Amino acid sequence: MTIQQRLKEILVVELNLEDFTPETIDDDEALFGGRLGLDSIDALEIVYQVEQNFNIPMKEMNEARAAFQSINTLAAFIEARLQG
Amino acid sequence: MKIDFAHRQSAHCESGVCSNLLHHYGLDISEAMAFGMGSGMFFGYLPFIRVNKLPLTTYRCEMGGIFKRVTKRLGCRVNWQKFRSPERAMAALDERLDQGIPVACRTGGYWLPYFPPAFRFHFNMHNLVVYGKEGDDYIISDPVFPGPERCSHRDLLKARFAKGAMAPKGTMYYLKQVPRQVDLAPAVRKGIREVCRRMLRTPGPVIGIRGIRFLAGQVRKWPKKLGEERALLYVGQLIRMQEELGTGGAGFRFMFAAFLQEAATLIETPQLVELSRAMTDVGDRWRKFAVIGGRLCKGRASGDDTYEAMGTLLNECADGEASVYRELLQIV
Repeated sequence: MTIQQRLKEILVVELNLEDFTPETIDDDEALFGGRLGLDSIDALEIVYQVEQNFNIPMKEMNEARAAFQSINTLAAFIEARLQG
Repeated sequence: MKIDFAHRQSAHCESGVCSNLLHHYGLDISEAMAFGMGSGMFFGYLPFIRVNKLPLTTYRCEMGGIFKRVTKRLGCRVNWQKFRSPERAMAALDERLDQGIPVACRTGGYWLPYFPPAFRFHFNMHNLVVYGKEGDDYIISDPVFPGPERCSHRDLLKARFAKGAMAPKGTMYYLKQVPRQVDLAPAVRKGIREVCRRMLRTPGPVIGIRGIRFLAGQVRKWPKKLGEERALLYVGQLIRMQEELGTGGAGFRFMFAAFLQEAATLIETPQLVELSRAMTDVGDRWRKFAVIGGRLCKGRASGDDTYEAMGTLLNECADGEASVYRELLQIV
């Protein structure tokens, strides 16, 4: 399973996105302000889930903000951290 | 007209503005260092002050306090202005820009057009730096955004004179004089000591460590006392104050930990590294507290995500923080 697929599953399951399945979320679509309807409280859950599922600490919020554009940017952030 | 000003993104607006303005005048101080040196760390649960008709909880010091203390401790001269007249406030801003001075403004973030709608809420303590004007647009270094932003005269005026709790009333501030060389160590020590004293020794039940414990007791009572619907509004307000101010749910505890890490080298006190780790652990608990609150608000709480669990986590945060401050007071 790719990081993107795993992230989409986390979004659907942990954020209770009832109108979506992992397959219906585009890798490049905006996580916030778009059709997913996520807000800052959801952002907190995503930060927490990334820490728990990928064992990546996210303490620098300016870095996290940049990563939170889309599934692809978040996956790239995780990949870079896993390799670094 | 555009001043040659380096925009650097930061996690939090006031410490970011402080760090960026000092950098403009040749003092390279990180955001975390500005936050720590300015004694930004704080806690207060103030149910008698209402924001959006809900109790105010603050995880940082009073607005403007970081900038005031950092500049005072470093020997900088600063000018602060407040206005009654929006026209005069905008004219004063233009005048300083014409003089080549980058100007920090306090604003209501809700009215800034570049804020994504999903992240907007009425909050009148958002700081940014204006460093240019082209036509009707001001050029803005908003520290929580990755690049420079633009904002029309009309929108900036509205944001500077946003109404409601803690209305900014056109507040603007800028540096008048910055020393060429400064000794950071005394400022760092003062910054740490003030935080510890404030968190451990402020009288009354709602401030500092006692305030965290008081809130722990209140949170547990909310569902019974307020009813489920209103309790959720209270929790939502609590965690928005943690998250939307750029703290990732940790209420500035990660930033204070980063400051202690930097300070360890600067004041040659290696014990601060261990205390930085301890404060990061506390930040993780604050984040877990916020995550549970978020789940309650969003109707996705599991059996473990309860008001009781939030209260327990808050007491753990209080224990962890108190231990760090006590040790800091002994070694700094």
